[in-house]
Amino acid sequence: MMNWNLYSRGDKFFAIVVSILIGMFTVATLYPFIYIAAVSFSSGFAAQAGKVVLTPIDSTIEAYKYILVQPDFWISYRNTFIYTIGGTVMSLLFIIPGAYALSRPQLFGRRFFNLFIAFTMWFNAGIIPFYLNMRDLSLLDSMFGIILAFAVNAFNIILLRNFFEAIPQSFEEAARMDGANDFQVLWKVFIPLSKPAIATITLFCIVARWNGFFWAMVLLQSQEKIPLQVFLRHTLSNLSDDDEFAITQLEAAYSAETVTAAIIVCSIIPVLLVYPWIQKYFEKGILLGGVKE
Amino acid sequence: MEKETRLQRIIFHLRREWQIYAMLLPTIIWFIVFLYKPMYGLQIAFKDYSIFRGVAASPWVGLEHFEHLFSNDQFIRAVWNTIKISALNLVFGFPAPIILALMFNEILHATYKKTAQTIVYLPHFISSVIIAGIVITAFSPSVGIVNTVLGWFGIDSIYFLTKPEWFRPIFVGTGIWQEAGFGSIVFLAAIAGVNPSLYESAVVDGANRWQMMWRITIPSILPTILIMLIIRIGNIMEVSFELIILLYQPATYETADVVNTFVYRQGLQSGRYDFAAAAGLFNAVVAFVLVMVANTLSRRYSRTSLW
Amino acid sequence: MSSVKLSQLVKKYGNLEVVKAIDLEVQPHEFVVLVGPSGCGKSTTLRMIAGLEEITGGSVSIEERVVNRVAPKDRDVAMVFQNYALYPHLNVAENIAFGLRIRKTPKAEVTTMVAEVAEILGLTDYLHRRPAELSGGQRQRVAMGRAIVRHPKVFLFDEPLSNLDAKLRSQMRAEIKRLHKRLEVTSIYVTHDQVEAMTLADRIVVMNDGIIEQVGTPMDLFLNPANTFVAGFIGSPPMNQLPARVGGTAEAPTAEIADQLLPLPPLPELAERIGAQVTVGIRPEHANVHKQGTNPIKVELELVETLGSEALLHTTLAEKPFIIKTETEGYYDMLHDVSSFTVNTDQVKVFDADTGRVFGQGAA
Repeated sequence: MMNWNLYSRGDKFFAIVVSILIGMFTVATLYPFIYIAAVSFSSGFAAQAGKVVLTPIDSTIEAYKYILVQPDFWISYRNTFIYTIGGTVMSLLFIIPGAYALSRPQLFGRRFFNLFIAFTMWFNAGIIPFYLNMRDLSLLDSMFGIILAFAVNAFNIILLRNFFEAIPQSFEEAARMDGANDFQVLWKVFIPLSKPAIATITLFCIVARWNGFFWAMVLLQSQEKIPLQVFLRHTLSNLSDDDEFAITQLEAAYSAETVTAAIIVCSIIPVLLVYPWIQKYFEKGILLGGVKE
Repeated sequence: MEKETRLQRIIFHLRREWQIYAMLLPTIIWFIVFLYKPMYGLQIAFKDYSIFRGVAASPWVGLEHFEHLFSNDQFIRAVWNTIKISALNLVFGFPAPIILALMFNEILHATYKKTAQTIVYLPHFISSVIIAGIVITAFSPSVGIVNTVLGWFGIDSIYFLTKPEWFRPIFVGTGIWQEAGFGSIVFLAAIAGVNPSLYESAVVDGANRWQMMWRITIPSILPTILIMLIIRIGNIMEVSFELIILLYQPATYETADVVNTFVYRQGLQSGRYDFAAAAGLFNAVVAFVLVMVANTLSRRYSRTSLW
Repeated sequence: MSSVKLSQLVKKYGNLEVVKAIDLEVQPHEFVVLVGPSGCGKSTTLRMIAGLEEITGGSVSIEERVVNRVAPKDRDVAMVFQNYALYPHLNVAENIAFGLRIRKTPKAEVTTMVAEVAEILGLTDYLHRRPAELSGGQRQRVAMGRAIVRHPKVFLFDEPLSNLDAKLRSQMRAEIKRLHKRLEVTSIYVTHDQVEAMTLADRIVVMNDGIIEQVGTPMDLFLNPANTFVAGFIGSPPMNQLPARVGGTAEAPTAEIADQLLPLPPLPELAERIGAQVTVGIRPEHANVHKQGTNPIKVELELVETLGSEALLHTTLAEKPFIIKTETEGYYDMLHDVSSFTVNTDQVKVFDADTGRVFGQGAA
């Protein structure tokens, strides 16, 4: 159908124009990242003079040296890994059995439970009651609190439930006649059959945890518990007002901007490393969870 | 066989199926503790809440907080800002992924298409802190590339992020940059579902690509467009306030402050929990009504519900 | 001792009764086929025996033990599903061994049992393949292997051949038959295909609308259908049914079909019904177009379908379609000239026009 050789001149012209527009949008998407990378490798002086456009000016790795010796940076980096791995595992521990139970026709009150969960997608108590609740539960400034309180969300459960529901009933029945109980049906049949869906949810969880910032900022006070995103935020808002930093900066080849850029680069790299896997699954995933008849 | 009582049936059912209830239980408890208990806590919007007394023991004050709220200029401004930012998002942000998907559909070169898609999806996975860091750096008066470029044309540096009139364009533009690519996936999937023989018969009838786009592709994906539009309208009150918190400052509150940032400042920064909870409740109720209306509309027009 | 016994078995979904108090006894080693149109309750009955559906009323017993409240895994039955339910992430050996593994059978034992079953089913060379790499027939065999390996008391088959093409289906039919001869395990088999029922069954149970219409051996059902439903369901093509009025005398009753007279067997019920409406049934095979007997019945030939050694003559009799099945050998040239047939009087079935019940089988 789409064969270049069969295109009329007008169609060819149209296709070329579209290709150019897409190219421009793609470049525009990519450019800010390149620009930040260039700033991070430039000297503070060059950056502040607004000379950096595409490539590093007066190439230097001083900004990276500055961050990489900061213990707080490494602590927050480690914390982000803890939150990401711990949080994702916690999410799966809730979501997989929960979604399985909700997908079973024999579950009494299934409609009610599904509504009970879906309702939270439409109505949310909001920031303040959630915060006060966390305080009442003594989960303020708690790493475990962060891992637990954001473990589940209705969307992921519904996504996986839909996937489980689409598995033919006979798979479960055959396993049951073979003597499997529900835990065995889930573990030996449903989970292996749902690898793509579970991979999608795992990636959603990883990305959400890696990027999570607002509640970590609100709930965590101790410097040794904050994740990378909160550390980055502190750096963003404090660096330029920090007198001590301003003094060291005078003698160094970095500036608030190049240091910020360097932190951004450091925190994007892990995302870029897992991005190929993310990409493999999310297209499927977003459609799985989407509109259901 | 004698007739069994209802109780016997229930006992038999539970003995046989207890495992699924055991699997469901942790999730249900989680929802109660972390999502439903805060809903119970929402009553502080009608109370004079004191930390020491707790939610239940604080005295009722009726609608006092709401009266203050609706006579509070900052709150009224925040409501309007929420609506205005959402409206801008709708007008500029909604068509962007559709246009992008239509354009991707016209690209023949598979590798070029795949590469471009991979790149434009990427910003969706970047955290709002990093997005804010990029925006702050790029729009900074001294360092920023934007001012550097303006400088080439002899335009003086503008301190964009302190100018109220620039906040919304920057915010909405950032949103499009971050989400348009990712948003196109849904529409590309809809386009992929169009029956190829429609295009083949159009080719035989002598249609060109432009005509096919308008007469086949767009009408075919119209249901998807409609559903996505309805979802968008349902989410009008949900402005991504994380990014606003990172980008705004007192100088730009005038155009940047939305209900959720207002709640955050009043509640978590100034400690007026009850007052802020009232503002949050207002937002949640409006959002809930909008979502319900959206779902009803979607059910009516497409016979699909959103969940 | 019966192997499986259903007494007054009922299944309701809300107010909808899909199985209406049926009784059935299956003898040990017997191959019983439940057959009927879709929605007749045959699959629901099978699933109640398996324990996959809750029983609303009555009971299911397996080897004299009521199993209403016994979990499927403890009933010692195995089932072959319509879509086979093979686990795509496991290979053939692992699929067959799944039930044994769940029951914690020692590994060495599992290996020998799987090898044995694979040998029986000719799957030895495929043990390490995944289901996706198998043909339809091989998948079907794996599904049976999974049932056989557990040495259950009863095999249940839920339309196991309906996903196969026609040629493979007849091949697998023979294979199931052979397997049953070899293993002699009591089997209950559900299908909507009467050919499958006729070829596989020791006894056929014809179901319709939640009740059992008739139980009997294939030939029994073919020759002595209990009612018009069975007559119209069994046989290919099914029995011709014509409305007629009873005439003649009690000793020599006749059927008046339009203006033609067909002698009827002297059944006691007919004596009381001279002048009443009945339904007359004649198997296509029993209508003879070659023998010149007395009282030929005239038909109008519309179409000849030649199947090879046999042919179907589509005719009309009293403005109703009437099909005649005949041999072609030696008669081929004259098939297009057929205008009448004769029939042995004792091969003519007469049914009550209102209830559909056959006459002449006593209280049966």
